[in-house]
Amino acid sequence: MSTTTIRRSRLHRREHLAAAAFIAVPVLGFLIFIAYPLLFAVYASFTKWNGLGEPVLNGLDNYVEMWNDPYFWQAMGNTVFMMIGIPIGLVISLLLALALNRKMRGTTFFRTVYYVPVISSLAAVAILWQWAYNGDFGLVNQVLAFFGIDGPNWLQNADTAKPAIVIMAVWKGLGFSMLLYLAALQSVPRHLYEAAAIDGAGAFSQFRHITIPMLRPVTFFLVVTSIIGGAQIFIEINIMTPTGGPEFSTASIVWYIWQKAFNYLQMGYATAMSVVLGLLVFVITAIQFQVNRRSQFSIE
Amino acid sequence: MKSRILAVTAVSAVALATITGCSSGAAGSDGDTITFMFRGNDAEKAAYTAAIEQFEKDHDVDVKIIMTTADEYSTKLKAAITGKQIPDVFYIDPGSVQAYVKSGIVKDITDKVEESVDLDNIWEYGVDSYRFDGKLMGQGAIYAMPKDIGPFSFGYNKTMFDAAGIPLPDPEVPYTWAEFVDVAKKLTLDTNSDGTLDQWGTGLNVQWNLQPFVWSNGGDWLNEDRTKVTVDTPEFAEALQFFADMSNVEKVTPSTSDAQTLDTYQRWMQGQIGFFPVGPWDVPTYEKLDFEWDLIPYPVGATGETATWTGTLGIAVAETTKNADIATELAIYLSTDPTAQQSLVDAGVQVPNLKDMADEWVASATLPPANKQEFLDIANEYGRALPANTTYSAEWYDELFKNIQPVLDGEQSAEDYLAEVQPRMQQLLDKANADAGIG
Repeated sequence: MSTTTIRRSRLHRREHLAAAAFIAVPVLGFLIFIAYPLLFAVYASFTKWNGLGEPVLNGLDNYVEMWNDPYFWQAMGNTVFMMIGIPIGLVISLLLALALNRKMRGTTFFRTVYYVPVISSLAAVAILWQWAYNGDFGLVNQVLAFFGIDGPNWLQNADTAKPAIVIMAVWKGLGFSMLLYLAALQSVPRHLYEAAAIDGAGAFSQFRHITIPMLRPVTFFLVVTSIIGGAQIFIEINIMTPTGGPEFSTASIVWYIWQKAFNYLQMGYATAMSVVLGLLVFVITAIQFQVNRRSQFSIE
Repeated sequence: MKSRILAVTAVSAVALATITGCSSGAAGSDGDTITFMFRGNDAEKAAYTAAIEQFEKDHDVDVKIIMTTADEYSTKLKAAITGKQIPDVFYIDPGSVQAYVKSGIVKDITDKVEESVDLDNIWEYGVDSYRFDGKLMGQGAIYAMPKDIGPFSFGYNKTMFDAAGIPLPDPEVPYTWAEFVDVAKKLTLDTNSDGTLDQWGTGLNVQWNLQPFVWSNGGDWLNEDRTKVTVDTPEFAEALQFFADMSNVEKVTPSTSDAQTLDTYQRWMQGQIGFFPVGPWDVPTYEKLDFEWDLIPYPVGATGETATWTGTLGIAVAETTKNADIATELAIYLSTDPTAQQSLVDAGVQVPNLKDMADEWVASATLPPANKQEFLDIANEYGRALPANTTYSAEWYDELFKNIQPVLDGEQSAEDYLAEVQPRMQQLLDKANADAGIG
């Protein structure tokens, strides 16, 4: 009896050791590449640091400065504004998915066409759209001119620059959400529709009471990831409006953070803004999960 | 059991490698290798590669080249510095010198430069742009050698003048503002009589072209000791108003919504613009234009003196380099070696750094512009540093341009705008000076 216990414990110990070693790899990776930078960023946010020399602690100065910095609020406002593309994108991609879910010729072709922007490099796409938005020979204004509309110089006008970027971002993201919706649509059990049809439900009512609720997990996923992504919008801003747009109208919060960190030698202040942004995204995501959980209870 | 031990060992080895992988593998130097980080286009890369090969032969060292695009350079360099992987030799712009010196990143190379370089034969402006005495730029120790200088000159379309029957501008006597507008008006035409303009006097970008007008009118961005923002003076306001009026009142530029650099640049290249700025870096492109063009001084404001700025980029040596001597030599070599300079000049990317070579270049060159001397006059006599190049950070300077559009659109007067923006700029300058430990 006693020998088996010892044996088992030795075996256990060896296995534990092996397990620990295997676990160590991702844990170390996490500590080095996620935990350490995260903690360091929080530390740096309480320092005065130009990104070159040594950080010097300065307490809450960066946070106070942020509170009083009109450009911080403007960049935040711009970022939030540009998120209006998210619901628009969701609706359009759902409609596209519904259209492409039908059995007809050419759906594969269209599915591919809508997915091309997703796999294209964002930088290349941004440069392309920059040309399209050119006030003189841009494609967008040429199309508008065909209908007798005199288009604005999109990216150089404080009123149109933000919408211009939203339109591009929606276009770029459509394929991805459409694909997920397509997959979800195809996994909706047919018998639900059949049962509803027998009960006399029309097409719209089926869509409203079966399709939409069945798509809820995908919608939830898309909303959460789009908001996180939207909060971090940067590349398209930096390429299409490298100075933050006319009258700072397209400067997103991440663009402003980058500008402060790398161009204006205020790494400490920039990390403070990153910390605030990170917290905001975390809180918003947590709320979304909370809301989602409640609404699922109500379905069941 | 054996295999289990093996697995454990393997996994721990991987884990260990993950940890040490971060700290080892330092860039920088070992023995006789030095790293050189720079940015530029293909022509520059080719010219530098050739020059560096020669240096490697002459000094029996290995130079590892790290090249980035212009956009990425600053971010990558700063990341390398934060990660303590500082290249031995690297490009630096004058606007960063104070921060890099204060943070102990770049080396004081004064002794070696004074010992081995004939400073009389290099543009003073080039070297002075990298002098810093702890308080003011332009004097004191040398922290980099000029990679180049970029006198930002003014060009005009000769062919267009001939077609309109306007006498060519005198390269020695600049236009007054009134004369300039007058000529520009004569050049603003509907050449094919279709009812819309297709040729304009000029089309300038405010960020790169406001300076000549302000300076020539007696205005400036900063006071002498760089503690006060002086954009709210009548001279400055008058110049900015003149700049905006060219579009809104005189209508000698493409309409405001079209007048951004990209468009006027392309229009100039298509021969639709009379006057347009020319930097040495533009020359290889402009050589291929199918109209004749030449250089003249910028039109003059109230002072009667023409003015413009001269850009520059420097080559600095890292404080941390283990091969300080050879690294400093490389910086000096790239900046002043006649053969290296020749290969860069031949690549058409810059004006020679050496005065004697530049004189020869002016006399012998056959390609446009005919008046290459203008570049040298700017370099030698009246080219100034861009305002932000003498301060710790450019944030205060960029503030001027952030909300300037209403002025350019004629919706706000220059005077009102400048009065409004000056306090904001002052606040940012104070912050930059405080960060630099000045004032």
